[in-house]
Amino acid sequence: MKKVKKGTWSHDFKINRSLYFLTIPIVLYFLIFNYAPMFGLVIAFQNFKPTRGILGSTFVGFQNFIDFFTGPNFGMILRNTVVINALGLVIGFPLTIAFALLLNEIYKKWFKKTVQTVSYLPYFVSMVVMCGLVIEFCATNGVITNVLVNVFHISRENLLQNPKYFWGINLFTDIWQGLGYGSIIFISAITSVSSELHEAAAIDGAGRWKRCIHVTIPSIMPTIVTMLVLKCGTMLSLGGDKILLLYNPSTYETADIIATHVQRMGIEKMQYGYSAAVGLFNSVVGTALLLLSNYASKKLADTSIV
Amino acid sequence: MIEKVGPSRVIFNILNYGFMIFFSFICIVPIWHVVMASVSDPRLLMSHAGIVWKPLGDITAEGYRLVLQNKSIWMGYGNTLIYVIWNAVVGSLLTVIAGYLVSRKDFRLKNPLMIFILFTMMFSGGLIPSYQVIRALGLINNRWVMMIPGLLNAFYITMMKSGFEQLSDSYEESAKLDGAGPMTIMFRILAPLVKANIVVIVMFIAVMQWNAWYPASIYLPAARDYWPLQLFLREMLIQNDTAAVVMGSDAAAAADFTSNLVKYCAVVVATAPILCIYPFIQKYFVTGVTLGGVKG
Repeated sequence: MKKVKKGTWSHDFKINRSLYFLTIPIVLYFLIFNYAPMFGLVIAFQNFKPTRGILGSTFVGFQNFIDFFTGPNFGMILRNTVVINALGLVIGFPLTIAFALLLNEIYKKWFKKTVQTVSYLPYFVSMVVMCGLVIEFCATNGVITNVLVNVFHISRENLLQNPKYFWGINLFTDIWQGLGYGSIIFISAITSVSSELHEAAAIDGAGRWKRCIHVTIPSIMPTIVTMLVLKCGTMLSLGGDKILLLYNPSTYETADIIATHVQRMGIEKMQYGYSAAVGLFNSVVGTALLLLSNYASKKLADTSIV
Repeated sequence: MIEKVGPSRVIFNILNYGFMIFFSFICIVPIWHVVMASVSDPRLLMSHAGIVWKPLGDITAEGYRLVLQNKSIWMGYGNTLIYVIWNAVVGSLLTVIAGYLVSRKDFRLKNPLMIFILFTMMFSGGLIPSYQVIRALGLINNRWVMMIPGLLNAFYITMMKSGFEQLSDSYEESAKLDGAGPMTIMFRILAPLVKANIVVIVMFIAVMQWNAWYPASIYLPAARDYWPLQLFLREMLIQNDTAAVVMGSDAAAAADFTSNLVKYCAVVVATAPILCIYPFIQKYFVTGVTLGGVKG
């Protein structure tokens, strides 16, 4: 077949006419739902009034940003956002890997399969239902409260009303819901480690513990690095939907993060300009984190995520 | 491999199996608790503290009767089904088209289009500007807000793209020789070959839609008739308002402890379908995670 000459756009349009037509709805979709909001970020620099629209609202320069950065809660919100994410990275993430490694040491096939299936179960329970259960279990006479009262002798109270416990509850429920599902990627990485490596190490006298340290973990290191970097990069784009279900005014002190702050100020209190500014700050830092992580991932594991 | 099993290994194995059993137990217990509580005597349930291991008192279906008689639960169910099916069908169809477009080697728009799509993964306008766009389109409190804005996302498109790119060019070339147009090539020849990727995307969309509550809570605040099931659940479980379900029950005095029972029943009714199905579809999620995590 004669290869089509790579020529002009009009020539390409002629041979790929239907592809161009198919492109239209796709481009329209992203223009409307992804790009229009980007241009809509103009309202971050305005005292935006929906009745007046973008063109009629007054520009206020960086006032909305200044309001956020100098506001009474800026430090608190930033700290909560960082701490809640960091806890997941430092505790939740290693646990996921540990779970995958431990599961790999189980040699009874049916047992392994069953545990795996059961471990995915919490992932399929909806956020609303899970948070509903958390609220019940953490109530003054709830199951979790009872356990903590009896084991750690804390004072009996509704745990979700005390800001002291919020990070712990949030982390624990994240782990409950995500441990099994999050381990999938590591389990598949572990199973693809060549058995020849293991056999060679075994011949050299390495026990299973040594092989785990010197064969398995180094082999899945690229996956670990990629996932870690991906988690760092998407840190700020995570929505606050779980926290919205779990927090209440008495725990804002430790529970309020950027996403929930935007939601409350923007949707409930209708301070659109201010919330858009906070959102823009979040997006810019988020994009910077993503690019940085991508760079780190290229350097460390030779894999690019975007 | 045959190996000597030393005493330390035996201890490790016992601990490891023990941990796995404990962990599985933690995963199942909350669900077990809900199911058992949902058929318990509501009076005993009120005063009970701790996990409900077995039904308290006589097994009762009273809670289920109230839930199933309730209009909002049925409405929520219906709406959720509409949103799940629509988004799974139309969303995956558009994703296939987009994935096909960005995987065509001799299409000049291929790269610009891919960059255009990928950029949305890197930067987003955020909640408030998106809300304003949706408002300007007249979609607030409109059913279509659940059926249009979530249809496409860059992540699924890259997943589809890598599926198409793994196919040999010869399929397309021979189809072209036989005079097939791009639509025929995409839907009749190539799509069946990347069925696995499509199924994964359909599953992801369906499960996500089934469990989603956040978009509806923002965009459908005053349109109860369009609420998905999860929003009714939120009203009952999080905002602790079961009036909509319990009201109209014969004994108004019974409402107080019945409301507790009703919550459990509603959770079972809403969660049972997905928990019954997931063991059979879990393999698609495993494939999806591996596809997206490494190559994405």
